Order: sequence, then structure tokens, then C-alpha cells
Amino acid sequence: MALTFAATPRTHQQDVVPRPRGRRGRAVRRSLTGWAFAGPATLVVVGLSIFPAVWAFFISRTKWNGIAPATDVGWRNYQRIAEDSAAAAAAQHTLVLSALFVPGSIALGVLIAVALNQRIRLIGFYRTCIFVPYVASAAATGILAGFVFNPQFGAANEVLRRLGLPAQQFLESPGQALFVICLIALWGEVGFTAVVYLAALQDIPRELVEAATVDGAGKWRVFRHITLPELRPVTVFVAIWQTITAMQLFDLIYTTTRGGPMNSTQTVVYYIYELAFQTQRLGYGAAVAYLLFAVTMLLTVGVIWYSRRRGTEAF
Amino acid sequence: MITFWRGRRTRLLTAAGAALLLAACTGAQSDDGKDAAAGYDPAAAVTLTWWTGQTSEAEKVAEQLAADYHAAHPNVTIKTSPGAPTTDELLTKLSAGFAGGSYPDISYAYGNWAGDLGASGRVQDLTSFVADPSFAWNEMPAAARTVATVDGKVIGVPALVDNVALIYNKKLFDAAGLPYPTDQWSWEDFRTAAKRLTDTATSTYGTAYSVSGSEDTTWHLWPLLWQNGGQILDGKQPAFNSDAGVKALETLRAMAVDDKSMYLDQTDEKYGPLFNSGHIAMMLSGPWSLLDIKEAKLDYGVAALPGVNGDHQTVSGPDLWVLFNHDDANRAGASRAFIQWLTSAETDAKWNLKVGNLPLRTTEKSTPEFAAYVKEYPGGQKFFDNLANAKQARPTLAGYEVMSRNVGDAIAKVLQGVATPKEALDEAARKSADALEG
Repeated sequence: MALTFAATPRTHQQDVVPRPRGRRGRAVRRSLTGWAFAGPATLVVVGLSIFPAVWAFFISRTKWNGIAPATDVGWRNYQRIAEDSAAAAAAQHTLVLSALFVPGSIALGVLIAVALNQRIRLIGFYRTCIFVPYVASAAATGILAGFVFNPQFGAANEVLRRLGLPAQQFLESPGQALFVICLIALWGEVGFTAVVYLAALQDIPRELVEAATVDGAGKWRVFRHITLPELRPVTVFVAIWQTITAMQLFDLIYTTTRGGPMNSTQTVVYYIYELAFQTQRLGYGAAVAYLLFAVTMLLTVGVIWYSRRRGTEAF
Repeated sequence: MITFWRGRRTRLLTAAGAALLLAACTGAQSDDGKDAAAGYDPAAAVTLTWWTGQTSEAEKVAEQLAADYHAAHPNVTIKTSPGAPTTDELLTKLSAGFAGGSYPDISYAYGNWAGDLGASGRVQDLTSFVADPSFAWNEMPAAARTVATVDGKVIGVPALVDNVALIYNKKLFDAAGLPYPTDQWSWEDFRTAAKRLTDTATSTYGTAYSVSGSEDTTWHLWPLLWQNGGQILDGKQPAFNSDAGVKALETLRAMAVDDKSMYLDQTDEKYGPLFNSGHIAMMLSGPWSLLDIKEAKLDYGVAALPGVNGDHQTVSGPDLWVLFNHDDANRAGASRAFIQWLTSAETDAKWNLKVGNLPLRTTEKSTPEFAAYVKEYPGGQKFFDNLANAKQARPTLAGYEVMSRNVGDAIAKVLQGVATPKEALDEAARKSADALEG
């Protein structure tokens, strides 16, 4: 098939050489056809992604509240980030959240995927159940969690009370709120990693497992030496994906704590929102956003580079 | 090679074009000092865009009023819309409108946006317009007039006036055998009562305070600061961290931390419903709470804020109708005429009183609409009288939002017992100095 395709234009070219005008017209038409297909999508990407991104960069070099005229301040916004204790705290919260959320969702995802890969009755029903929280919007998840973790009237404290444990403040305690948010995020997102791993598990060649079993490997050793290595490319992908999810977590925080109590759940993205849209510091907010973009980009490139060197291509 | 150069040139052109466009987007019109409505012809046909910032019921009333005005002045068509899904989002819509060059003639605006809007260079200067005796500017509360004035220029007309007073649950006071609060209460009386009314067994608190760190947290402190003789700003320098400010915040800290008689609301949204369900005995709030309380069928009373040495002044959060300049004298003139009609004592009685707000003008006191309002909302009369206690206004300079956020965070920290009033307010002042300089 591939050969035929490659051969077609060459024979055409020979045909067309005596008529140069027709050849040019054809080339134009071909490129126009190409652009007709790619054009609308390109316009959308340029208009809705690239243009705002470039604009945001220009804004990040100004002091602007969106209303009064902007004043150019050069790189001062970027310099200010280094001295901003609130930005440092926000970065720390994001790091803690990612450090808990990414490994947590991977470990839980593998665990659930292995469980859902068994041949048991009603397996389709179980699989649906695990995936439903992922389909529900994070906003709905947040509002629901707000009821469950309400310190006065919530179900979580009711459970603790029945177990004879002291009631907790959950989302209203500066020490606990970030962990509770992480828990809610895990509940919402684990369906995604589970489904990805489930697909990967079903892709593992059965011969490998059978060969290992014939060689006398037990269930655990098959899992350790066959299944896990086979899941590595998917894990790179899931790790990057979940890191981006954790770093960009916003709706859940907005609907549960709004960055409180005492800014203990203020992540970088929420901080940007507050800068730009609560206190109208668009220039400074754009600068922080650009820094976040750079960090995410570096992280992604780093992981891809590392995984290519290791010989597992996820992208 | 040719494609390379062409590609590069195109890219350069695109970048230059984008830069130009961006410059246009972040810029503003210059203020030429000419009156926007000079040469206004009252008979000219004009179409005005009016962003009401209202939802549901109030929006319907607004549309009816616009239709009434059109019937009386057929040459003026008013396109009425809320402008944004919530009033908070109006500012974002306005800033996008400025960037795109399509903004309304009249928009609702929160009082604390006045400084930013005044600096946009797109608002009309109404100073001479409201100075005309026919406008009766002085019938509106002084605090509201101050908020509408930015750097000596009047940029809008008050749309809504309110103030903060003490709302209390009569049933809880009766159950505790305590006398109801009076207009002469001191903060010590308030603290003693709050402590007596707190009952952990029934999760009942004497009072409540928002510690979300938003403006709702911040502005409840201002009356205490003023009563203690303090100021928010000294020129463009923060002055709230004075001894008066520390004393004001200490009053609240003692209740929240020492007595634990204050329910600390991590959002701004829980203390209202908790008051309505009888879990909070006293709430410092405004007339906007009356509708919900009425629906909760709660037996309540309203008193002036507790005071310091007999000073019971309160804070007011007036909102504005801001009029924008489109370099069209007829539109500017027509929007002024409409706003004068809308905020006149006669029309305002059909507008603010009808949707449950306080009247804008003192002269509305004798209208039948006011009598009906007071009958429907028993606390309305007290809130109306309390307008006289709103002696000072929140600053309107750009940068107030940033300062408000820092002060809110400081209050939240102190009330949750992780900082002392002095150190928290000093830190807030230090962090705000830069933004206030402008």
C-alpha cells in the first residue's frame, strides 16, 4: 500500500512536465485544499490560544488593572515574584498537592485497574462506577464534598463520631484543608488513571504472562517482572498528565475553600486568579502565569527526554 | 530559501501587527477636559445601553422603568440588560468592553470600583451636572456622595445606599434572659452578651465574623477603626495600623479567641443562613439581609452598631450608576437625563424601595412606598435612621482592592489566633504601600 502511494506522484510528475502552467495550478490547488482542511482549526488555535498567549506576555510586562491605561514596567513583575512570600507559599502548596496527588492517583489507578481486570460478575457495572466521578464536573464534586466535610453537619464527622474519634474541622482547618482537597481530587480523578491502566493491562501480550508462569513465576513475580515493566510507557504519560492536572487544579478549590482558610489551599493557579480577577493586578498575574507555563513546559520536556533516553516512548 | 524568507517576513509582520493591536487594547482614551454633554440636543434620537447589574426580579423592574421612560421620551431608546451574570463580573465585562471599544452608556458599579473606573479616562465628569440645584445632590447620604467622587470629580450617581447595623435574634435573647441590644450599647456590652449567648451544646454562637479575607472581612473592621479615632489612609499611605486600628482588631480578637463567642465563617456565605436558622444570636450586617430573614420567618430586631465612647458610626457600601463618555454629546446628555429621572425621589421609590433597598433620598421618607417598605421589613426604619451614622466613606483610590485583601488576610489570621493585631496590621500595611502609591 505504502509503495503505491509513494509511487503515484512520481508518475504524475512525468505526465505533467510538458505542461508547466497546469502543474503550478495543480500545486496551488493542492495547497489550497490542504489549507481548506487545516484552516478552520488553525484559525481557532491561533485566535483562541496563540494570540491570547502572546498578548498575555505583553501584559506581563505592564502594570495594568484592566481599566486604567497600562504602564510599561519591563521585567519588574518577574523580579517581584522572587520576593513575593504569597507566591512562594502558593508554589509550596502546589508542590505538596502534586507530590501527593500524582503518585497517589498512579498507585490507586494501577490497583483498581488490576482489580477491574479480573473476570468476575458485573464487571461492566464496577468499571462504570469507578469512572463516574471522573465524568462529574469538578465543580459538582467540590460542592458535594463541601457537604460531606462540613464540620458541623457533614457525613464525614458523623462517621468519625460513630467510630469514637474526635470531630475534625477538615476544610476549615488550615492544617488539614490541603490534604482533604487532595483526597477529593483523587476521588474525582482516579477513574481516569484506572481506565488508562486497564487498557494498558489488556494490551500486555498473554504469551509473556504464560511464558513466565510456565517458568514457574508466582502471581506476584509475574506482576513485578512482566506487568509493571509493560506499564512503564503508560506511566510516563499518566505522570505528566496528572502533574498538569494537579498544577492546574482550580475549580475544586474555587468551589470548596476559595484558597482559604488563611490561604492554606491557595495554589499557584488560584493565586493567579486572585491576582488577575479579584484584585485586578493583570500584569503581575500574567507574569506568574508565564512562570507557571515555563515550569510546566520544562517539567514535561524533562520527563519526555528522560523517558526517550530510557527507551520508552510515551509520546 | 525563498520560502524561508517569506515565512520569516510574515512572522515578523504578524508579530508587529500583534504588538500594535495589543498596544491599542491596553491603552485608554485621553481626557480632553471638555464636558461630554456640551451641545446636547434633548430632541435628538438616541439609543442608550444600560447595564443594570441586577438579576431576576430587580431586572424586570428595571426593564419596566426603561419602557416607561421610553414612553415618556419616544426619542430615547434604552437597551436594558444585566450586563453580566453576577454583579461581581460587571467589572471584568467593563474592562473587556474598554479593550474592545464597546462599553455601555450607563453601568451599575460597586463603590469600591470607583477609583479604577475613574482612572480609565472613559467616564463622564458629572461634577457640574450634579451641582445644579434641580438635581438635589445633597438629599443623598454624604458617604454615598463621597464614594461617587474620585479625585474631586463626580464620576457617577449613587444607585444604592446601605449601612451596617446590629441585627439580633429576639428568641435567643429571651431564652438567655438578656435585654435586647440598644442603640447606646458599647462594644463591652456586645462582648458580654455574645459570651452569655454562646452555647456549645446547641452550637449557638453569640456573633459571627467572616474570615475569608475578602472585602466582607475587611469592611466590618472600618467602623470599629473610625469609632476608635483611626483612619484607613493618610493621603496615599496606609494608616489603619495605628493604635486605633490595633485596638479595634483587639476588640474582635478577644471575642473570637478568648471568649470563643464568635463563629468564624471561612466563606462569606454561611453566617447569614446560620443566623436565620437560630445558631447565631447577633450579626453585623446590612439591609440586604432582611429579605432572607423575612423568608426564614425569624423574630428579629435591629440596633445601631455598638460604639466607643458614644460614637456609633457605621460603614456604608454605596453602589453607583457610572456614566460613560462615547464622544457623543447627545448620548451623554440623554444618559444624564435618564439617570436624573431614575434617581429622582419619585422614581426611586418605585425602584429601590420596591426591590427591598433603602431609599436614595431623604425626601422619600414621606412617600407611601416607604411606609409599605417599613411595614414589610420591620428593621427598615432603623437602617434608614442609621444612614446618619455613616459619616465616613471607604477610600476610592486605585489600589484599595489590594489593600482590602491584605487587611482581610490580617484579620483572618488574628481571629484564628495565629498573629497579634499589631504585627498582622503592620504586615498588611507594608504589603499594601506599593499598590496604594499607584
